Amino acid sequence: MSRTGFVHQALCYASDEEFLDGTLAFVRDGLAAGDAVLSVVQTRNIALLRDALRGEADADAVEFVDAKEWYGFPARTLGQYHAYCTRHEDGGARRVRVIGEPLWTGRTAFETREWMRYESLLNVAFADSGHWILCPYDTRVLPAAVVRTAARTHPELARGPRGWVPSGGYAPPDAFYAECDEALGPPERVRPERELRFGRGRSAAVRSAAAGYARRCGLPQERAHDLVAAVHEAALNAVRFGGGEGLLRLWCEPGYVVCEVSDTGRARSAAGDPPSFPGHLPPEPRGSGGHGLWVVRQLSDLVTERMRADGSVLRMRFSR
Amino acid sequence: MATPSAECVVGRMRTGDHLLLGYDTDEEREAVLAAFLADGLACGHRGLVLTPVEAPPDVVLGFLQRQGVDAEAELAAGRLAVMVRASTEEGLSGLDGLVREEVRRAVADGFLGLRFCMEALHAHASSALKTLHDSEILLDPVFQTLPVLGICQYDRRVFDERDLAPFDLLHHGRAVVDHVWQDELLSITRTFEPPGLALAGEVDDSNVTAVARALRAENARAARRAQRTHRTRLDLRGLTFIDVCALRMLVFTALGLYASGGGLVLDGTASHVRRVMRVTGWDRVPGLDLERGQGA
Repeated sequence: MSRTGFVHQALCYASDEEFLDGTLAFVRDGLAAGDAVLSVVQTRNIALLRDALRGEADADAVEFVDAKEWYGFPARTLGQYHAYCTRHEDGGARRVRVIGEPLWTGRTAFETREWMRYESLLNVAFADSGHWILCPYDTRVLPAAVVRTAARTHPELARGPRGWVPSGGYAPPDAFYAECDEALGPPERVRPERELRFGRGRSAAVRSAAAGYARRCGLPQERAHDLVAAVHEAALNAVRFGGGEGLLRLWCEPGYVVCEVSDTGRARSAAGDPPSFPGHLPPEPRGSGGHGLWVVRQLSDLVTERMRADGSVLRMRFSR
Repeated sequence: MATPSAECVVGRMRTGDHLLLGYDTDEEREAVLAAFLADGLACGHRGLVLTPVEAPPDVVLGFLQRQGVDAEAELAAGRLAVMVRASTEEGLSGLDGLVREEVRRAVADGFLGLRFCMEALHAHASSALKTLHDSEILLDPVFQTLPVLGICQYDRRVFDERDLAPFDLLHHGRAVVDHVWQDELLSITRTFEPPGLALAGEVDDSNVTAVARALRAENARAARRAQRTHRTRLDLRGLTFIDVCALRMLVFTALGLYASGGGLVLDGTASHVRRVMRVTGWDRVPGLDLERGQGA
């Protein structure tokens, strides 16, 4: 089946047969059209698809990745998909088809919500592309809330081979984003282990504090480098848009090292509204801006932000 | 391997310094000597260039002219002088006497001191190396008593490190080119083999302009060298941090060079810097070549 423009569908399945029904035709149509086909699904679903495609022409062209290796943290997964598409789309001439089955089990409520936010953000990040993402949801094991939300983050629901219906409950990404922020609530009060107030030209001191704390928390060297780079970019943003000074706070919570950069937002209110989906959308490599926050999200594991005229709070989490 | 002799940037040389310059390229020799002699002019020293082969003084000092020194006018005023003195057995005998005499004359002429530089020639005979060695031994006491600074130039394309090791003991250290930039976070140094810049330390919002300025000057030099297509080379092996803003400046520089048929080579980029370049797509920008550092 041929369509144009970006397509993002959820495929709810309750059996192996339903999974194959919904995905096989998608793969075959893609191969026939010369599309790049990437399948990032659970281990057992890789086996199902491989078996079903065995012996078919071009079946080798399908790229399989285990979901466990791909769905680490939402912002980086989005970055990976973006990089994959850039590599395979031949300058935009070729469609990339993705079967993308995120992992939902073993996530905290906070992590689950960020993955839902991610599903919704795909609609914005790939809006101008011609790619097609099909997201399988295993209704046998997934919590009902996760399956329900799929209808809100995917404009369409796939039905069997080549069939689809518009999903009635689809929420526009900006509304869904605001809803996620709402559920997140205001940044909870914490008692940081380390605090540093900084102004223009003090980024070396910010980096040094961040590096020292990362070392103390036992982060591996490469992750410590990432943490320092992310904190530095956040601090520059705070100084630039937040009235010339900011505050770095560092602490640990279960599973994560947390770095918070906040400012009082005086310059931001003059500069107009904060950007929508800050740092979530892949910047143009040759663009003159927009790389800072993107890099912050790509180097961190989970980032939450609250950007208001009266100040911003950016929390970067690094799993430990 | 023996510990290398102490390095001294040419801009920090003081009266009494007797340094060895082991250079790999003519560009390196000229960069060090031009700074040495121009500093001398600024300090009220006479500059004396001992050249091994007969040539018109303005030709010998052509490299100074290229560095913006009006060599002809300085020669006419006696602030610069050129003498032929080959480092043969004959040329080297009495070198210490000659330098003593030239220092006295410079002082008598109203200068505060003398800066001299001399090219050592390699005659492939051990007796010639021994003569060179002896003359350096005799020369050293001159520096301890008179207002004189000297650089003895050894071309590393003809003297290997084994040859040079005994000479290190007769000098107070090795002369190296001045830093292009140095602050508490970052040093920028010219490299000569291969030609380019070496960045060591951290680049952030406080010193990105210094990097941009050094890069622009290096681009101009690379264009003048113009071997094949001109590619500017940055040695980043000593770079521990560079922020997004500075990387974007490098990317834009690379795109500009690419548009004129050249490019920017980043040598020895650390893995965490490569990661930033990968997530921004900057590792795939035309004109930007990420090379693995030797041994990295």
